[in-house]
Amino acid sequence: MTRVTDDIIIRTVARVLIPFIQLYALYVIMHGHHSPGGGFQGGVILGVSFILYLLTHGLKEAKARMSEVKATLFSSFGLLIFSGIGLLCLIMGSNYLDYGALSTILKVIPAKARSLGILGVEIGIGIAVMAVMFSIFFDISTGGELPEDEENLGERDE
Amino acid sequence: MSNFFLCLGMGLFVLVFLCLYRASFGPGVLNRIAGICAIGTKTLVVLLLMGFIYNRVEMFIDISMVYALLNFIATITAAKYLERKGEL
Repeated sequence: MTRVTDDIIIRTVARVLIPFIQLYALYVIMHGHHSPGGGFQGGVILGVSFILYLLTHGLKEAKARMSEVKATLFSSFGLLIFSGIGLLCLIMGSNYLDYGALSTILKVIPAKARSLGILGVEIGIGIAVMAVMFSIFFDISTGGELPEDEENLGERDE
Repeated sequence: MSNFFLCLGMGLFVLVFLCLYRASFGPGVLNRIAGICAIGTKTLVVLLLMGFIYNRVEMFIDISMVYALLNFIATITAAKYLERKGEL
């Protein structure tokens, strides 16, 4: 699965398509609170763009863009955003993830604060889901090898 | 006009089952991949028709674009698996 494909059509189509996929994923994440989609769906689309890159350009080039370590860091960072916003609401004296309490920090009316709060939470979920999706595909396609012995994974396909 | 879209959608819904037959019993891997791709395309069109029926096309276009995208990636992944196996 992680071998470089030698088909120029697939590589070119993927290279053209990946920026638009990522732009669309950002659109789905950003408009999650007033149209279908949201953090999880946008994160899946964002992860699919990296999976497409891994499928077409091989493991070595994909690891330069998105390695296992980066995926782990991104998933933790997304969870940190999610739980950080939740805990901020808790600190402001309201329930967990009750965004109305953020209106004093953001200096807007509570309805606007709820909209901004859910947007922040969805950005966090999107980052986490993107990293986890890529990590799952990475682990499955490399057969669960450890990061230390990844040097000879590129030509390990039989 | 809504009835027209409804009949169109139901016709496509019936056609999905023919593709499902080809995808599950079809001889060879290539027929299965083609059947699954056809099901994905038909689902996309049915989603858009649903959008026309409910008068909310701008929402259903988002969903159908995601569906087209995932269908494309699934086809590439299946083809890649086939290339690696080297046999039909």
